[in-house]
Amino acid sequence: MSGESAFSGIQDGVGPWISSSRAPADNRLDMDTSAEHLVGAVTAFNALKWGYLSAITGFDSGTAAPSDGHIEVLYHFCRGPSVATFRVKLPREDPSVPSIGPLVPSAVMYERELSETMGVNVAGLPGRKRQFLSDDWPEKVYPLRKDFTMESAAATHAEAPTVGGEDEPGTFIIPIGPQHPALKEPGHFELAVDGEIVTHANIRLGYVHRGIEKGAEDRSWVHNIYLMERICGICSHIHATAYVLGVESLAGVAVPPRAQAVRTIFCELERIHSHLLWLGVAAHQAGFDTLFMYSWRDRETVMDLLEELSGNRVNYSVNLLGGVKYDIVGKAADSIRRGLDFLERRLKRYLKIVTTDESFLRRTRGVGTITFDEANRLGTIGPTARASGVSRDLRVEAPYMAYRDFPVVPVLDSRCDLEARFVVRINELFESCRLTREILNRMPAGELSVPAPRKVPEGEVISRVEAPRGELFYYIRSTGGAKPDRVKVRTPSLCNWAAVLSVAVGHKLADIPMIMVGIDPCFSCNDRSITLRRRGAPGGVPGALEQWSWEDLRQYGIKYYAGGGR
Amino acid sequence: MNVVLALIALVLFPGGLFVILGSLAFEYADRKLIARFQNRVGPRWFQPLADLVKLLVKEEIVPTGVNRGLFNGLPVAALAASLTAALYVPMAGLAPAWGFRGDLVVTVYLLMMMTLCIGLAGANTLDRFSLIGSTRALTQLFSYEAPFLLALLGPSIAAGTWRISEVNGYARENVWMIVTQPLGFVVALIGLMGKLELPPFDAPEAETEIVSGALTEYSGRGLAFFRLGRDVELLVGLTLISAFYLGGLANPLHFILKTLALLFVTAGLQSLFARLRIDQTVGLWWRAGAVLALVQLLLLIVLKLLGVRL
Repeated sequence: MSGESAFSGIQDGVGPWISSSRAPADNRLDMDTSAEHLVGAVTAFNALKWGYLSAITGFDSGTAAPSDGHIEVLYHFCRGPSVATFRVKLPREDPSVPSIGPLVPSAVMYERELSETMGVNVAGLPGRKRQFLSDDWPEKVYPLRKDFTMESAAATHAEAPTVGGEDEPGTFIIPIGPQHPALKEPGHFELAVDGEIVTHANIRLGYVHRGIEKGAEDRSWVHNIYLMERICGICSHIHATAYVLGVESLAGVAVPPRAQAVRTIFCELERIHSHLLWLGVAAHQAGFDTLFMYSWRDRETVMDLLEELSGNRVNYSVNLLGGVKYDIVGKAADSIRRGLDFLERRLKRYLKIVTTDESFLRRTRGVGTITFDEANRLGTIGPTARASGVSRDLRVEAPYMAYRDFPVVPVLDSRCDLEARFVVRINELFESCRLTREILNRMPAGELSVPAPRKVPEGEVISRVEAPRGELFYYIRSTGGAKPDRVKVRTPSLCNWAAVLSVAVGHKLADIPMIMVGIDPCFSCNDRSITLRRRGAPGGVPGALEQWSWEDLRQYGIKYYAGGGR
Repeated sequence: MNVVLALIALVLFPGGLFVILGSLAFEYADRKLIARFQNRVGPRWFQPLADLVKLLVKEEIVPTGVNRGLFNGLPVAALAASLTAALYVPMAGLAPAWGFRGDLVVTVYLLMMMTLCIGLAGANTLDRFSLIGSTRALTQLFSYEAPFLLALLGPSIAAGTWRISEVNGYARENVWMIVTQPLGFVVALIGLMGKLELPPFDAPEAETEIVSGALTEYSGRGLAFFRLGRDVELLVGLTLISAFYLGGLANPLHFILKTLALLFVTAGLQSLFARLRIDQTVGLWWRAGAVLALVQLLLLIVLKLLGVRL
């Protein structure tokens, strides 16, 4: 493999800062360093201009006892199919690492997640507020630690979360969210404006954080397929796919080619539905509701196809460990072909509209420009990066599943503005249609699935796939049991926020919704926990918020439906 | 006897109830047309009335920090101004209920009251969305108001009178002024869309940025009055433009055909474009709207001096 050569030069460059290095798999290089040497290592690594920071993973190798085990922080840098990882081992008591935010801007978001959920003190991390956990989450309780219990999280619910506050003198802050018509899901943005010009932008996420990563540690390998599929309602299939690909490679299961082809077809159909949905939302942000209505009408074509193939519109539940549930044959294949023919005709029309409609171009051309260098520096991925001429598409660079046999032609645009983001996404849909048709025509014969073990051997794996919004990163760690030890999910939306916040400054307020939606942000991508609480549980303090137990919830459900859903 | 007739004119026909029901019907037509243009089903015929009743019976929440008198009074003033304006135009193709020399100018001012009230209503609250919305509404007001007035001035100069009923009479006897003054017609129609903050001039209430603009804090009765006032303004505006530019209004059939034709055009324009940013709106009006209206007016004056009968 070209893995060896891809990493050549790295060891020489960062040599003094690392204590040891090894290649745990093809295309991977792990380098051990320490908290003191981390900044030096990343600085030297940056100088090599080797790749971009894809994710920061933290895991707790211990058990409930505090003296046992350690916390390890992994900094994953990617270039094409290759992943270079700096590993920092920390004690479980007061773990601390320096922030690499000044060196790698996109790191800040990941470091914040690390510090809030894993309890690693990241020295020098800017900002004051919580980014992912609720404001009333108790101090010093870190959900991803192994000694975490639900009781410790329920201990304090002192005050309701607050948003905003007094303006600093001389600024006028427009709050967008958590509830706002521009946002279909909750997020909070603070835009400081001077007249109509935005002078500063800030973001707060986590309003619907659901604790899926923690939940995964408590479910079997099979259960987790369904849990991961529910991370996002738009790109559900790709999450489950990234997970099963990782687990299969850990377990050494060889998936039959026909199953891979079926998975790939679902991936591409999902991309079509996701991009069409985005097209409508983006048009709506520009006040162009006619395009919104038409593109969503046409999106129903692909939704119907997905329903016809799997019986579901949202969570298709296609994947098994070791294969797929559904086959695509005869009639179903024909309806896919018909649907794609129709969509291609419509797409031609939409491409014409977004590139020629005068009033629409006034809102997109030259607006929200992310230059090639900026896109590289801020670590953007997916269509956002490709619209800035940065070729980052894992289907091309690190082909997986059926993409190995059916190569994807990358879609790039060098204009860097909002218009380019429209053009790239629509052209990607043409490519998806072509690809789906080609796979259908040359569908490999064979089995749909092979048996997979219930327990997965000890080890760790990195699984990267191209979701509609960009690179999706999974880190899965097994200790040889029936449940994973850690599943880390780094979703594509998280990577692109840094770019949006820096681009927003200097634009007019009216352009902000368009710029935000230009990266196709997905809040389910960002938020993964929720605890259910209710006021005044019997026997509790009146008016206090209390946790719902599983049994409470079950009883509530039974009563709810017994009363005819009232 | 005169008093009874005057009261009927004020409360039932052609003012008051008739205008309110008529404007609701126009709102329905507008919404239905846009929905069909956008490949949607659209509302049922009584939906605007249902919306109005629903808003009227809702609790009105008065936010803290507002001047209560202004908060409650502005919607009433806005609706009253639009309803009053309806008395001076040839509603339903009949002669205006009232009229005097110079009533055109009064009507234009009454039509402007709506935007003014909305701007004040937004500035009255502490809400950030309302403040930005009212700034935008007033900014927009300054950009379209002058061209709109100039565009209505054209026909009245041609007719040589400031009285709406006389301009209407002149229009009926001569070539349609959409032919002789096409520029003025375009400016007047687009100006009306700007006044009503219809897309693409809906930056003052761009929901994806500033929720509902100046009216964000309005909930029950106040919102109902503002919405109704806007519907009435749409009806009055369409009546005025068809009376001036589409060969006058002589009977109810003329009225229905001509105003609906105009509505069809505005609904089409509403669904064709993406929203303009506020700076783009202002730029468009001063660079194109005002210049077009001025060119039209200058041509008219020159021709008039030369003694050409229009």
